[in-house]
Amino acid sequence: MTMLDAIATDLVLLAKPALFNIYFAIASIPVGFVFAIFMALGKGSSNPLISRLCRGYIYAFRGSPFFIQLFMFYSLALAFNLSVWKPLGIDWIVLNPLILGPAVLALNTTAYTANILHGALMTVPRGEVEAARAFGMSRAQQFRAVIWPNVIRIAWPAYTNEVVFMFHATALVYLTLPVINDQKDLMNKAGELFERDFNAFLHYPIAALYFLAISAAIFFVFGRVYRHLMRHLPKPPAMRFSPRWMR
Amino acid sequence: MVDLLPQWLQDFLGQDVLFWLGYFTNGKHLSWYASVQYTLAAGVLGAVVALALGTLAAAGRNSRFGPARLVGGIYTSVLPGIPDVLFFLFFPLAFEQGMEWLRAQAVCSPMELASGQWPPCTAANLLLGTGEYLILAGVSLGIVYGAFAGNVISGAMNAVPRGQLEAARAFGLSPWQVMTRIHIRQMWVYALPGLSNVWMLLFKSTSLLSLLQISDMVLWADRLGAPNFTRSAGLVHPDWRWGYYLVLLAFYILITFISEKVFAALTRWAGRGMATAGAV
Repeated sequence: MTMLDAIATDLVLLAKPALFNIYFAIASIPVGFVFAIFMALGKGSSNPLISRLCRGYIYAFRGSPFFIQLFMFYSLALAFNLSVWKPLGIDWIVLNPLILGPAVLALNTTAYTANILHGALMTVPRGEVEAARAFGMSRAQQFRAVIWPNVIRIAWPAYTNEVVFMFHATALVYLTLPVINDQKDLMNKAGELFERDFNAFLHYPIAALYFLAISAAIFFVFGRVYRHLMRHLPKPPAMRFSPRWMR
Repeated sequence: MVDLLPQWLQDFLGQDVLFWLGYFTNGKHLSWYASVQYTLAAGVLGAVVALALGTLAAAGRNSRFGPARLVGGIYTSVLPGIPDVLFFLFFPLAFEQGMEWLRAQAVCSPMELASGQWPPCTAANLLLGTGEYLILAGVSLGIVYGAFAGNVISGAMNAVPRGQLEAARAFGLSPWQVMTRIHIRQMWVYALPGLSNVWMLLFKSTSLLSLLQISDMVLWADRLGAPNFTRSAGLVHPDWRWGYYLVLLAFYILITFISEKVFAALTRWAGRGMATAGAV
């Protein structure tokens, strides 16, 4: 019974820290998604300057570890604290891990999501766009009525994976940024519990269980959204429950 | 280091350049450059382990033996569901504790073992150094990304056209020959794009080495860039860490660039003589 008790205690202790990971994901993913739409359009832009800039951004953020991106933005925030942020009176915003963390996560997910959306943008059936143009639609109308519905349907399964990986990346935030008081996330709390009784086989697997459960929940919710997106088809393609976990 | 340069070059460069050249080649900076070896070693070890485990997992998933299918299936579907950093921290700790437990059975007295303390007695303590942690880090990266590689390889094995295998059998090749000369030979073309992706993920994860107290590039960048204050000289330099991290970002982007080129060449090489869309 003691083992079950220990597991139950850990499940309770790690519930609040899990909320911090969920907060990081929820605070960054919508922002990153909106940025990514513009970034994807920019990458496909016919203006060489805009296209190059967007390509460079996506390549740089996809080609380097998120861990070091976090370190770099945090040290930037620290280095210019006395000279820039303090005089402007925004140091409490810039140095707050609850704001800086999601900001860096958003920059990171923008690059990955833009790459997915750009790939989808390239596979929109050409005939549909030509038909829209032949109807005399403006470019905004073309995008809203023809291109976007295609893009989101093509990109959704890959975007689901990206969201799950984004959630996994939130584990790194508090390994880099300072932890204020008791605002610990799953990794911190598991580490703290481990240092108390050196029971690695209990605390880390329970933290892993939380990550697994939330990942499964993301797949479930995004799968329902996919079914909704595909409702016009006679038999909506099922999103496999164990998809390709590939970023 | 600067003193080694010939006099005419020193005159040509001037005092300022020489100063910075000397600064960036001082002992600590040289240690930083040398610490790249840990990152590369962990990446290569991780890749080898991941490829081996991935192959095993793919073989398990496609095997006719039920338990092997189960183990392969669980490994390739559960492990990618947890963050790599969590397993990366968990595995070395768990391995160390497992070893210590085994040692404790041998060296500790029964009374100490029954006390419920950890570790049961000081003699059972294992003190691991950088080398051991590096191996553990590489192996745990390999285990995590082996699950990804297993998915890729088993998908690629199924992507080889059936007709190719049937034709090979019709030619009278033995099952082993079909496996090695046709199936695995053609599998690479389908697996390489995915394996390239896994390798990039794995190499980016080598930035986590400092979490295991290995003095890798990230730890050195932190030490070198931190505001440097001495009583005799005052503030030597303010917080330069972001500059050092920028160099690390550039390093990883460079490795990504090189990896892309290498994998493109590998894909061309693996696809030689095959009628695929990517063939030249």
